[in-house]
Order: sequence, then structure tokens, then C-alpha cells
Amino acid sequence: MLENYFSVLVFILVGLAFGCMPILMGRFVAPHRPDAEKLSAFECGFEPFEDARMKFDVRYYLIAIIFILFDLEIAFLFPWASIFQEIVNTPAVKFFGFIEMFVFMGILVVGYIYAWAKGALDWE
Amino acid sequence: MEFKTILFYLFAAVLLGSALRVITARNPVHAVLFLVLAFFNAAGIWMLLQAEFLAIALVMVYVGAVMVLFLFVVMMLDVNIERLRQGFWSYLPLGGVIALLMLGEMILVVGGRYFGLENFPGQNVAAGASNTKELARLLFTKYAWPFEIASLILLVAIIAAVMLTLRKRGDTKAVHPSDQIKVKRNDRVRMVKMQSETNISLQAGSSATPKGD
Repeated sequence: MLENYFSVLVFILVGLAFGCMPILMGRFVAPHRPDAEKLSAFECGFEPFEDARMKFDVRYYLIAIIFILFDLEIAFLFPWASIFQEIVNTPAVKFFGFIEMFVFMGILVVGYIYAWAKGALDWE
Repeated sequence: MEFKTILFYLFAAVLLGSALRVITARNPVHAVLFLVLAFFNAAGIWMLLQAEFLAIALVMVYVGAVMVLFLFVVMMLDVNIERLRQGFWSYLPLGGVIALLMLGEMILVVGGRYFGLENFPGQNVAAGASNTKELARLLFTKYAWPFEIASLILLVAIIAAVMLTLRKRGDTKAVHPSDQIKVKRNDRVRMVKMQSETNISLQAGSSATPKGD
């Protein structure tokens, strides 16, 4: 089974090399003469007034957490889909296995409607 | 040494290194990014164990969603790392003792006595058996009830997140299209009935004000 993922490993390695090689080559091949003046503000530039890290709106957090919850819901769909043929072809669990996922999603749709009705999906 | 073993040690080494950097990085955003790297390597190790679904779910849910949330939270909290580092050395002895206690507990609980290889004799799995399908068979038959409860927990999380973080801001100039569509003519335009003006020059100085506004 793992042989099927060998190409993924090759992709990861090539991606790593692609990202790291220019940085490493720039570090080792190019002339490297650091100077404090090179980093200082010049001409129209000025020293920063305050820390660049400022507070974000809490709204981003709301969008992110709603995304996580529905992402989790999707994650449960994949194993269900992988045995879907099996569920449908087995008379004992045919109805139960089919309805089960719809109950699961139905409960989450209630949450979706709630978030929508409350205006959590709007961006003022 | 087998190729899989080499891969395992590679993933494990990067995992441990990045996990160490998570707690030692000075910049909290860097710490979160190292945690992403740690998750990727943990997914690689799970993949080596042939737990395909868990590996993909780890990348999809944790790297794709949870770490985005962590980044937002780190940026939102406006952490002052210098202030957090104050008193590091004075708290070190107490913290060290607690850390050692927790390490001992973890060794006792997760050690070889319960989770050693001899306690898992290895199920007789067919050669082409899919880990995902085995997981699904258990999840949708034996654990169907906890599975439905999981959706209720997710529902509670949605409602809690909306309740806690949703507040209307009064100072935005955003316009809702539905409100625009629902507008009646009377909300926008008012017809004012007034007498037609007569020759103004004749009434100059008199109090000839039109009716209404």
C-alpha cells in the first residue's frame, strides 16, 4: 500500500529542495557582508512608531471556528463514502447506515441555519 | 536498514525537533508554524503505519483548519512575549518538578505495560484490507451512537462560537442588499402638498412660509 504514496514523498522532497535551495544558495554563494546601515531607514523612511503586531478583529476567529466545525463534518463523510456500497448491499444495515449520516448532517445543518440567521456569515 | 525505517527516523527526528522549537521559539507565530511542521511529520508517521485516513484527516483538519485558528488567536491576543518571559527563572524549579511528575505519569500510563507490542497480538487483516474501511465499519455500526453525539457537540460548539464572538459594530457603513430591496417609497420620498407660489414681489416681507417643512 505504501508504494502508492512514494510519488507523494518524491513531491515533498522536490518541494523542500525547491524551497530551500534558493535560500541556501543565496546564503552560501552570494557575497554576505551584513551591515547595520543596510537595515536602517533611509531617505523617506522613518523609524516605526509602535509594534507592527496589532489586534485582529474577533470576527476572523468566528469564521475560522465555523470553518473548523464544518471541516470536521466533511472529514466524517469520507469513511462513510468508502463503505457506502457495502452499506447499501447489506440488508441488515441498509436503512440504518444510510440514515445515520443524514441525522449527523441534519444536526449540523441546524447549526448552519443558526449561524446564518444570526448573521455570523455576513461581513459588515 | 529498510527504507521504511529510515523514513520513520527521519519523520520522528523532524517531529521532535519542531516540537521542541514550538516551546522555545521567541515569536509565537513561528511557534505555530513549527507546530504545523510537527503535524505534517506526525501525519507521515501515521502514513507509515498505514493509517491513511488518520494521516489525511490530520493534515486536513489540524493543518488546514485548527492551525489557521491558532494563527488568528495568536495575532488576536497581541501577546507581549517580553512580559511573558519575566520570572522564568524563579518559576523554573516549581515548573520543573511538575513537569517531571507529569513525565513519570505519562511513562506509567503510556508505557509498554499497556501499550507494548505484546499486548496487541495483531489482527488478522487481509493483505489488501483498507484501514479506512475498517475504521468506517466500526464507526457506523458499533460506535454509531457516539458518532451522533459528536455532531451534537459540534452543534454546541457552533452556537457557543456565534454567541461568544458575534457582536454588531455600530460604526460600519455596510449596506445590506435585503434591506435595500425591502425599502418602500414612503421611506425615501415624501410628497409635500403646498400652495402654488404667487407673485413673490407683491408679498415681499410678509410671512409667506410654505406648509410642511
